[in-house]
Amino acid sequence: MLPVLLGLVVLLALAAPLLGRVMGREAGWPLAAGLAALAAWVGLAPPPEGTTWSVPWIPGIDVALRLRADGLGVLFLVLVLGVGALVLAYSARYLARGPHPGFYGLMTGFAAAMTLLVLTDDLIVLFVAWEMTTLCSFFLISRTGPQAHAPAVRTLLVTVGGGLCLLGAVIAVAVRTGTTQLHAALQHEAWQSDPAFAGAVAALVAVAAFTKAAQFPFHAWLPDAMVAPTPVSAYLHAAAMVKAGIYLLLRFSAALADVPVWTVLLVGIGLLTSVMGAVFALQRNDLKELLAYSTVSQLGLIVATIGIGTPEALAAASVHTLAHALFKSAAFMVVGILDHSTGTRDVRLLGGVGRAMPWTSVILVLSAASMAGLPPLAGFVSKEAILASFVEAPTPAGTALAVVVAVGAVFTFAYCARMVLRTLPGTASADIPRKPHEEGPGLLVPALLPALAGVVIGLAAWSLDDLAATAASAAAGEETHPHLALWHGLTVALALSMGVWVLGGLLAWKAARVERALDRRLFPITGVQAVAAWQRGTIALGVRVGDLTRSDAPARHLAVPFVGTVVIAAVALGSVGGLGPSLTHVEGTDWLLLAVVAAGVATVVRARSRLGAVVTVGIVGFGVALLFFTLGAADVALTQLLVEVLTVVVIVLLLRRLPRTFARPSRGRAAGAGVLAVVTGLVAAAGTWALTGRREMSPAGRYFLENVYADTGGTNVVNTILVDYRALDTLGELTVLGLTGLVIAVLLDATRILPTKEDAEPRLIRTGPLADPGPNGVFTRATSRLFAPVMVLVSLWFLLRGHNAPGGGFIAALVAASGFALAYLAAAGDADRSKVAFRLVGSGIGIAVLTGLAGLADGSFLRPLHADVLGVHLTSAVVFDVGVYLAVIGVVVAALDLLGSEPPPRRTAPPPRPAAPRPAPAQPEPVAPGKESA
Amino acid sequence: MIVAIIVGLLAAGGVYLVLQREMLRIALGFALLSHAVNVLLVAAGGTGRRDQPLDGAVDPQTTADPLPQAFVLTAIVIAFAITVYMLALSVVGRRDDDTRDLSDAARSEVVASDDPLDVAEIARAYGAAAPEIHKEPTP
Repeated sequence: MLPVLLGLVVLLALAAPLLGRVMGREAGWPLAAGLAALAAWVGLAPPPEGTTWSVPWIPGIDVALRLRADGLGVLFLVLVLGVGALVLAYSARYLARGPHPGFYGLMTGFAAAMTLLVLTDDLIVLFVAWEMTTLCSFFLISRTGPQAHAPAVRTLLVTVGGGLCLLGAVIAVAVRTGTTQLHAALQHEAWQSDPAFAGAVAALVAVAAFTKAAQFPFHAWLPDAMVAPTPVSAYLHAAAMVKAGIYLLLRFSAALADVPVWTVLLVGIGLLTSVMGAVFALQRNDLKELLAYSTVSQLGLIVATIGIGTPEALAAASVHTLAHALFKSAAFMVVGILDHSTGTRDVRLLGGVGRAMPWTSVILVLSAASMAGLPPLAGFVSKEAILASFVEAPTPAGTALAVVVAVGAVFTFAYCARMVLRTLPGTASADIPRKPHEEGPGLLVPALLPALAGVVIGLAAWSLDDLAATAASAAAGEETHPHLALWHGLTVALALSMGVWVLGGLLAWKAARVERALDRRLFPITGVQAVAAWQRGTIALGVRVGDLTRSDAPARHLAVPFVGTVVIAAVALGSVGGLGPSLTHVEGTDWLLLAVVAAGVATVVRARSRLGAVVTVGIVGFGVALLFFTLGAADVALTQLLVEVLTVVVIVLLLRRLPRTFARPSRGRAAGAGVLAVVTGLVAAAGTWALTGRREMSPAGRYFLENVYADTGGTNVVNTILVDYRALDTLGELTVLGLTGLVIAVLLDATRILPTKEDAEPRLIRTGPLADPGPNGVFTRATSRLFAPVMVLVSLWFLLRGHNAPGGGFIAALVAASGFALAYLAAAGDADRSKVAFRLVGSGIGIAVLTGLAGLADGSFLRPLHADVLGVHLTSAVVFDVGVYLAVIGVVVAALDLLGSEPPPRRTAPPPRPAAPRPAPAQPEPVAPGKESA
Repeated sequence: MIVAIIVGLLAAGGVYLVLQREMLRIALGFALLSHAVNVLLVAAGGTGRRDQPLDGAVDPQTTADPLPQAFVLTAIVIAFAITVYMLALSVVGRRDDDTRDLSDAARSEVVASDDPLDVAEIARAYGAAAPEIHKEPTP
């Protein structure tokens, strides 16, 4: 039954946007009928206690979509579905005509989220459902209009903050008890044996619930959220959002009722909120705001009652939750009706509308009387039960606390009276914007039903005994049998109630004086201001923190990781010990290469000329390539060599756009950079010496060496690692390369490449016989005509043999790209090649991905396929390598082309300075491609 | 030992260069740092065994560890992509590849220039704060 139930609610939620679009506001009827049918199903034939159902979700951490039915869940489920049905039916007449896909989708989605929340038996799913209700309420509030954005964001911040607390609690419980199954976790012995754990979880759960149930100091969002339309408010207040907080407290009560932190927090904050909310409600003139503070106050009462923790108290809290849902949904809907009919919700403008709106008056009186706790209504029964549970609480202060409850009730009585007396009796006020008239049954019936239900429940209180008993038993974790009745005899609770009526009546009688007395600020700041100030403060703090790194100068950012490296080394110095014997050995060529690298580094650091720096870095690169070769890494050495060549080619294309020399660094920069460089270098050398070369070959490396032929049919181990064993890494790398080409294209398209410097070409060339770039390049061009095709052929040879000998896609591509570079440098003009380049990149990555997909035929993405055709061993890894080949060539060609071409003329600038005098080129030179080709 | 010294030298040179102002120097510094890290990675496979892992010559006592080599091969190509990108960054500056911070003094200097590109750039970056910058010269 449980999955069917949840599935049906979800189905409704999915259908709702469609219905809202097709049927407009009338979609409220079928949706209400659906929810009402489900509510009736659950209410009349509740699932047997302890029914469970489960499907695994994240088995690795024992998370499953577990559902479990018990009395508490059923009570809330009936509320969620029943009130949801009423509110949706009401919306069908309250909303304007026209499509409402978002509203209906979110409202039924809200119902689905609440259904999951109260049914789930999994801690993680509980948290997810909790956050879903947060998001639903955020969207419902924020979609009201621009004025609702700030309140919606405040609501979100407060409730998400609470959600984080719940996440903390959920994880703590799951880790400590070793299960994510909610009811099992709540029965764990750790709650008794580990008071620190129980206390921490109690505080976290309490704060989470306080944010949701709008308890002090998180109460501000609820009145703030009044910008949402009335049906949303009615649902939020009566059954959905705030009741999620109450549900959470009741659910965890089984484990936490005896934890002192829990009791103190719940009773203290709950009573404070109860009295405070009631006073604020009495202060308000807008009926909706009044009801909002009334919700704050009533929820405070329920929270405090849960804090008492006895089975009787939990039963009373459950019943009051039900009673509150009934009178509060009726009250909100009736305020909506008043608003709809008269055009105002301000009690100072309203007055004497009773005669024109008899049915509305009935609903208002019934809901207000239930809220005030007058017999024979549901509110009286539940409030009596609450007072009794306080009086009978096993604490010496029980009766005193009951008196505090009564104080709150006095103000509650007063604002309820004010709601009725200021609006209904007498002759119609002249201030009402529109002439009051009775609304149709479409609005009245959904509001009347919960009001009448309050009467029925009040008169037949015993009918709730079973529901309250199962709910309270589930919450308390022990059997309990409350007896609800209008008349319990002459009890302390009844005496308190009578005192409340007398004092409340007095306040209502002296309403004018009370109003004057309260017409002022009671606190220096409002809750909304506090939340807004906190929000502003957080943003200001973020700006302050961000300022630390807000600099365009790269050095400031780049120095951080080096300093961090040094710090790590300093820490390691004290803790690393017991190094094994070094297995390294030194060969004569090592000394030579050390000399090459040292000379190169020394020169490049001191170089003032850009060209000089580039050349020496190239020398260092060749030295490193040779080092790789002597260390037994032929493929790496080849790659390094080719990369050095291409890097130098690319730099040469750029050098003519930059000044010849570097600026002299300031003394401070040189000194700072020098010190950091020397220290980092020492750390790097020491780390390399200490942490490498002290063990035998890694098991992975040994495996590759021993099994390479059997696994892949190749003998070049490094290449097979790239295309067979770890092809996914290679695919990712290809994508990075391809993106680089794209990013450069975008960068040059968005900004402007610097023009070639006038003084970049030596005077000799500008004036002498070699000035013409056509004849000038004859020799290179002739050479390149010969060599470029050869290089491309050689690259294909490298590509095909890569599986068994040095070579492979990368190396082959770099060889071919060198060929292209040669042809490029030799060409007299720029041709439009960029598109070809990007097609190469795209087809390369495409081929690699398709080859990978073909691997799915053998069970896994990127698994190479093998086949023997006519005695020749073929493998799809070679095809993958072709993809690598194409992509790398494409990127290099793109880079050459993008960085080599002249910038297009500026549009906003005066005519550009001619880049360099170029007398009649030998071949017609195409117009600078730059932007068009990019 | 020698390899460790080489790593140290390359790292020191790289760090010094990336802390300079010119983008070209920073890019060259990154190239040196990549060398340092790549040599370190290969060294992690051990420098005692130096035979090429090729042609079925699979004596694990003398053959170099192929796994770090494969990592380094990938790393070299990625480092190449980064270098090329940084080199492209070095030629999209205002006049050269200087990367100094736009301190107030420098900003007023740039604003004072009649280069419309500078003015447009400053206006983008500091739009609301400097209203006079919005007066872009019309061609």
